[in-house]
Amino acid sequence: MIQFERYTLSNGLRVILHHDPTTPLAVVNTLYDVGARDEDEGKTGFAHLFEHLMFGGSKHIPDFDAPLQNAGGESNAFTSNDITNYYNTLPKENLETALWLESDRMLSLAFTPKSLEVQRNVVIEEFKQRYLNQPYGNTWLELRPLAYKTHPYKWATIGKEISHIENATMDDVKDFFYTHYHPANAILVVAGNLNITQTKKWIDQYFAPIEPQIKKVRQLAREERQNEFREKDIHDKVPANAFHLGFHMCDRLHPDYFASDVLSDLLGRDKSSWLYIHLKKEKQLVSEISAYLTGSLDPGMFVISGKLNEGVSFKQLEEALWEALELFNAKQISKEEFSKAINKISTGKEFQEQGILNRAMNLAHYELLGDAEEINKELEYYNAITPQQIQRVGQDILRKSNCSILRTHAQKN
Amino acid sequence: MDRNIAPALQPISALDLREPQIFKIGENTEVHWISEVPNNTCRVELYFDAGTIKGERGRSSFASHLLLSGNEFLKSSDIHHRLDSLGAFHDIGLAAETSVVSLYALKDKMPKALNVLAEAIAKMSCEEKEVKEMVADRKQRFMVNLQKTKFLAQREFQKRLFQSNTAYAQVAEADYYEDVKREELIAFHQQNYLKGLYKIAVVGSFSKEQLNEMLVPVISFTATNLTPRAKELQNTPGRTHIEKKGALQTAIRVGRTLFNKNHPDFIDFQILNTILGDYFGSRLMSNIREDKGYTYGIGSMLAEYKNTGYFLIATEVGKEVAEATIEEIKFELQRLQTELVREEELSLVKNYLLGQMLKSADGPYNLMDLHLSVHSFGKDFSYYNEVLQHLHSITPERLRELAQMYFNWEELTVVSAG
Repeated sequence: MIQFERYTLSNGLRVILHHDPTTPLAVVNTLYDVGARDEDEGKTGFAHLFEHLMFGGSKHIPDFDAPLQNAGGESNAFTSNDITNYYNTLPKENLETALWLESDRMLSLAFTPKSLEVQRNVVIEEFKQRYLNQPYGNTWLELRPLAYKTHPYKWATIGKEISHIENATMDDVKDFFYTHYHPANAILVVAGNLNITQTKKWIDQYFAPIEPQIKKVRQLAREERQNEFREKDIHDKVPANAFHLGFHMCDRLHPDYFASDVLSDLLGRDKSSWLYIHLKKEKQLVSEISAYLTGSLDPGMFVISGKLNEGVSFKQLEEALWEALELFNAKQISKEEFSKAINKISTGKEFQEQGILNRAMNLAHYELLGDAEEINKELEYYNAITPQQIQRVGQDILRKSNCSILRTHAQKN
Repeated sequence: MDRNIAPALQPISALDLREPQIFKIGENTEVHWISEVPNNTCRVELYFDAGTIKGERGRSSFASHLLLSGNEFLKSSDIHHRLDSLGAFHDIGLAAETSVVSLYALKDKMPKALNVLAEAIAKMSCEEKEVKEMVADRKQRFMVNLQKTKFLAQREFQKRLFQSNTAYAQVAEADYYEDVKREELIAFHQQNYLKGLYKIAVVGSFSKEQLNEMLVPVISFTATNLTPRAKELQNTPGRTHIEKKGALQTAIRVGRTLFNKNHPDFIDFQILNTILGDYFGSRLMSNIREDKGYTYGIGSMLAEYKNTGYFLIATEVGKEVAEATIEEIKFELQRLQTELVREEELSLVKNYLLGQMLKSADGPYNLMDLHLSVHSFGKDFSYYNEVLQHLHSITPERLRELAQMYFNWEELTVVSAG
């Protein structure tokens, strides 16, 4: 049970305080409700590039990191298709420093041309390091536009192509900041060994004076229901044939979300899962196979991926895979299988909530979903799932006409 | 309120380091235990004397991947099914001098899970089918890795870094996957797992009786005798390049063999290493990422072995700026040898390291890792008082002296791949 206190400042900033007397640390986690899905299709990769610029100095403070390090702390951030999340960890005694820094960059950035120029290059190197210079690194750059035709999930967080990042201008940066970086578009979580009264005073002092702004209403293109099997074959200098099947599924708040999660666990989380046993241990078709969700806020993807064994064709794999899925969907799972999945989820959750930083991030995430209190109800929801629901969800998702398959063919040198 | 002025820094509270309990089971197995855990999580780590230095031609890696492969009657999928049903997670970490099998579960499930794991290890029989499957999987993974410039650079770096000792210099080769002999793997397993358990680390709120009872299934693995570890290692200096056609980035490794916590220069060198490349504001990051934009990341570290250690700088950069990056690395090392670090920078790094110490002691899991990282070198938490003293007393002159001793360019091994 994670306890917390929650309130909203008059400028619209949502604040969550979580006290943990066992740690010598404090965490300041700021989630902005903006991600790659909010980008213009001609300027992709921007939310992430922007995240880098948030470390390039703010209105009154030339460098974000040095004062934090000087206070014994450190900082980082990540961007997804849905959100941008910034976090600082430091000794609890110096919490004020993190609030001072974080509030100043919410107020305004410094917008120095040098920072933009350098971070453009850094992000281009990140693009290469993670996506272009890695075997199978281009998978998501290919699979997304195959599965999504209209919704902005069709591009990856890093961007569609390097040129979008190269062409980013200071005007774009300023526009992006003024549209998305303001109190009403953020959730601030302060966690750790806190003096609550003092913490509230500081939050009031540093964040309350930031001018309010109206939160932009998000209007994204809805993805139409997929009605045909989609396939794409790419040939790459990789040693083994690989496959990725993306199926459309519900959004994060839909009542079937948790059942879909359990379904993916049963099919391909670990070495006793259905697909692993059928396609690897019994039929020896694959070297690895797994199933998982993208976990996005808007309707996401249910993914099955893996690599083929030497000498196995895609045709052999796909026949066996569809057969295994059909077999799975034909019956209801046993109580034993279900409790296996739930046990694993419970262990994972308890370990995950061990660290103060994870707890802070999760609180922010749940608050964005609508209510931070939901974090404590998650296991109830998992336990309420029925075998019938899993079967229905499986039959609904795992259909050929709902599937996009990316085949990566090994190109021998 | 003036936003231009940073809030005053407050003194950071003292580290609260309580030593874990240590006792022996079996003949040669030490148990390290932290019982104060504020939740139901539990971790058991089994340290086997089965690291890569013990097996030729990849044998130690193959053996580690067969640990849960079962036997004629108990199939690997049954073992996994049992562990998964208990909600347990496991992983196997293979390093040069050790193989660590870690098990994670909620505490009420841990005794059963550990029992399943122990039985699997005890009865593993290297079934022909399992060996074949494992070798094919490992080979495929190796082939994928060969496509990564990072892997190519690291591999070559390891060869040249440990050239003085073939066991440490050993890296996977393609032909290792062609003639794997089942009997050799069985022998390896018997020798190094069934008689190789030398340390157990437990984080979990049990009573002593519960703990003792839980550990019964692994007692028989107790080590007979520990393999001697290298006393000293010597790198081969100089530059090597591995050409990889079509690569967009070049991976770079720069380093040398050095020492571990038992050397009198270790603590001060760690401070120097932080300044050079071990935090976001380090010299290497500030210059090569934040000023020039050559890379997504660059860092340096000191890795420790039982009796020795090594220093490493690692990065991946645009192919066209690879040479320029190596020049900048050289420049930063030489700058530390000639210029004194300014007080402001040194004081920032001291504060940062104090914060890092608090972080690395936060919660029972971090505390156990911190404890093992000193205990392995015959020390206890009083080591951190020494660190505090060094942080307090270190001078720019001392840092320059260390840089002059250990950062001579001609003594470093430099590898690039791309």
